[in-house]
Amino acid sequence: MDSLFRNTLGPTGWIIIAMIPPAIFALYFLKLKRQPLEVPSTYLWHRVIEDLHVNSLWQKLRRSLLLFLQLLIVALAILALLRPGWQGQTLEGQRFMFLIDNSASMSTTDTPTGVSRLEAAKRRVGALVDQLSGDMSAMIITFAGQPDVVQEFTDNRRLLREALERIEPSASQTDLTGALELADGFANPGRITIEEAELDVEVTEQQDVELYIFSDGRFRGVEGFSLGNLRPLFLPIGSFEADNLAITALNTRRAEDRPEQQQAFVQVANFSGAEQRAVVELYLNDNLLDAAELTVPPGDIASTTFALSERSEGELRAQLDLPSGFQDRLTLDNRAYAVLENRRDGRVLLVTPGNNTLEMALSTERAARLAVVETIAPDALQQPKFQEQSQSENYDLIIFDQCAPETMPLANTLFVGRLPPVEEWKKESSPERLFGPQIIDWDRSHPLLNLIELGNLAIVDSYVVRPPAGGRVLVDSTIGPIMAIAPRDRYEDTVLGFEIVGRTEEGATAFNTNWSRKLSFPSFWLNVLEYFASREAVSRSIKPDRLVELRVNSTDDRLTVELPDGTVQQIDLEQPGRLVFHESEQLGVYEVRDSIDVVKRFAVNLFDREESDIRLRARQEGEDGVTVVDSLAIGYVDVAAQSPTSPVRREMWKLLLLGALVVLVLEWYIYNRRVHV
Amino acid sequence: MSTTKESTLLSPELLAQLERLELVTRKVFRGRMKGERRSKRKGQSVEFADFRNYVAGDDLRLLDWNLYARLEKLIIKLFLEEEDLHFYTLIDASLSMDFGSPTKLEYAKQLAAALAFIGLIRADRVRIETLGQGVGERGPVWRGRPSVWRMLQQMEAIEAEGQTSLATGVKNFCHRNPGRGIVVFISDLMDKEGYETALKYFVSHQVDCFVIHVLSQEELEPDVKGDLRLVDCEDQDEAEVTVSAPLMKRYHQTLNAFTKGAQEFCSRRGMHYLLANNQVPVETVVASHLRRRGLVR
Repeated sequence: MDSLFRNTLGPTGWIIIAMIPPAIFALYFLKLKRQPLEVPSTYLWHRVIEDLHVNSLWQKLRRSLLLFLQLLIVALAILALLRPGWQGQTLEGQRFMFLIDNSASMSTTDTPTGVSRLEAAKRRVGALVDQLSGDMSAMIITFAGQPDVVQEFTDNRRLLREALERIEPSASQTDLTGALELADGFANPGRITIEEAELDVEVTEQQDVELYIFSDGRFRGVEGFSLGNLRPLFLPIGSFEADNLAITALNTRRAEDRPEQQQAFVQVANFSGAEQRAVVELYLNDNLLDAAELTVPPGDIASTTFALSERSEGELRAQLDLPSGFQDRLTLDNRAYAVLENRRDGRVLLVTPGNNTLEMALSTERAARLAVVETIAPDALQQPKFQEQSQSENYDLIIFDQCAPETMPLANTLFVGRLPPVEEWKKESSPERLFGPQIIDWDRSHPLLNLIELGNLAIVDSYVVRPPAGGRVLVDSTIGPIMAIAPRDRYEDTVLGFEIVGRTEEGATAFNTNWSRKLSFPSFWLNVLEYFASREAVSRSIKPDRLVELRVNSTDDRLTVELPDGTVQQIDLEQPGRLVFHESEQLGVYEVRDSIDVVKRFAVNLFDREESDIRLRARQEGEDGVTVVDSLAIGYVDVAAQSPTSPVRREMWKLLLLGALVVLVLEWYIYNRRVHV
Repeated sequence: MSTTKESTLLSPELLAQLERLELVTRKVFRGRMKGERRSKRKGQSVEFADFRNYVAGDDLRLLDWNLYARLEKLIIKLFLEEEDLHFYTLIDASLSMDFGSPTKLEYAKQLAAALAFIGLIRADRVRIETLGQGVGERGPVWRGRPSVWRMLQQMEAIEAEGQTSLATGVKNFCHRNPGRGIVVFISDLMDKEGYETALKYFVSHQVDCFVIHVLSQEELEPDVKGDLRLVDCEDQDEAEVTVSAPLMKRYHQTLNAFTKGAQEFCSRRGMHYLLANNQVPVETVVASHLRRRGLVR
């Protein structure tokens, strides 16, 4: 395969091609029909032609110049069909998989030709696709946040090239694992293994698949993955010296010392070899608010804070003004976005006959920053003021401690030691409190139990709470679930089956659990406030290409989301008040609208130092300490990087065809203008 | 001029112009009848030629009595005789002459008519013949102004026909007309066997010969394109050419060599040569070109 020529046609094709030159000869010698013209005398003409006959050989050559040109065209075309090339990196194998990294760092423009890394990768894949011969098939997968099969296995080079054209740069982080899993799935279609006496017998024939990974290697290796019959080849793209300044964080929060004031926090990382001075500009709704100069040491970070006024609201954008002469190779991360929402303090109503521990947990300094907590006694539940407030969404959360209302309020609720006055809850749960539950497990992934350690918790008695359909058990114990959460319209009801402080029959207060002495107790209540009541000044920054789940204050079933580039998407809500959004590939601020107004904004930012550090990972090798690109770890295999300038077979069939075209034009010109005989 | 009114060959303007001209020959020939030209013969005219001694039998009227009175010798005074001139027009009326616009033959006829007219009004003997005529077919001789219209009639009757070898035609002509005088040979000289043999006959015939080489514009600047099969209208000979710039260049070279060769051939043998393009009006040719060559004055 590494020869100068490479056959592209079958025998039939060649037979047809071989018949063309004789056909041209034949046509040429079947003399062209000449127009008869009567002249007074051919005397002079004969002498002219006789003159021409004198140097007859040369004349013949000239006379058949058109013939030679035609033969030349055919010769060039045939040569093009043979696809001459040189310096070929040979493609060995039958099936190929091209994994192309299109993560944010691949937008770096540090290739010698000045195009982005992704473009360079596409060109190299294009060159490899050109070399596929008829019996080879290939597929193309891009990987960034999510792997994407751009083109499944095909031997159609046109399809592959078209697929290659479709690949767009993304702003996502790199995750090779998904792509490898996808590749594994495609590499062994219909693999069936029969376990027989602890022996894997594979039913389908295994075929080796050449896995070409085009990436800049800006990600950690893949752990716990078996390559199987994938034969990886890592082709790094990029350079060791690629300078980049990036904003790696943009947050807003209350100032520690002055809680009424908001602050914006910006962190800038320097991924270059020298100290850089950059100006960070902060814009609110496209108006410049403030700017600060930062001196960032090489390979390090620097940060600054900006003071914001209390009532600031809208889109916050931090932007890097690069030092002059600094060549920032990746511009994606020079901007960061945040959303400032006009903050209304969360309002929490605590209905309790008296519970010091709980009240203290809700009155810490941090809790005060999250929400305003009002406390009333259970008697007040009967008063019209409460009736009115509970039905008018006045509170974000109502905590019923040792009591329950007659009807559910229009708010999120948390019941402590009581069941909600709803049939669905009561139907499944135990009617009586059961003694001595031991906690077995709890749902650590739920935000309410985020970083909460519930082991070794003693509880005297508790209801067994089983949530209605759609609910989720949060804490499981030996007697059954003792804490659960379930949605109700666009609210959520949480039920804690056990009391923290109960009352004995005599009416004296008694501790029902030792939880209040644990560290997890105040943390839990902070989680509760954060989850239900807090309105963060800045909504969490979302990484690109990730699923976005938002709670929105709208009763519409259908919302529109305006993407940063101005396109609008309609999203149908599966549950009212919960928006699930997938298309978060662009960086910037997304606006969620219902039929009336903007109900939510969220920002998508890269904020990934691993992606922003666009220099190829280097490793010193050998005694001379030659810098080479670090290898890629996949499972237990180290995939060595191929030479960055790994030669791709240079083919000249395009030039040949171009030449044939030029000759054709020349022939046309000669034929029409009669430059020569 | 009423006699030539219906003639298309000569326009009244041309006739008026021609009346002022006369045919010139460098050679002095003996004529046949009394005419307006000097002859080698001594005779009666007003122009003195020579003296000679009287011999018995001489006309006494020719004695110069004044000399006799002075010298007492009988001297005879001789005068130049004036005779007429033989003027022949030989027209090549082969098919190849029937080309161009006006056709070369038409053009040749106009030229011949103009020259013959000059001859007629100067009392010369004018005979018009074509190459195709056989040895025995002698054309009529015209003399004097009254013959103009018959001359023109004869001229108009000439049609292009057949293929004639130049050499044969000229030989026949010379056989038919042994007399000397001026011969104007109007032809395109396109003969595959060459024109040289033909012209040599004139040399040997010792006539004052003018060769008027008529070529049409189509021959001088052929307007042809593409792949052509050229057919000779006389002998149906074919030549296949593919017209191209170098070919045209070569054609012009060949044409130049051809005309130059003919000119050189003529001037070496004391003949006059004139290349006439059928686009140049006959008036110009006669009044300017031929005058310069010395055929007319």
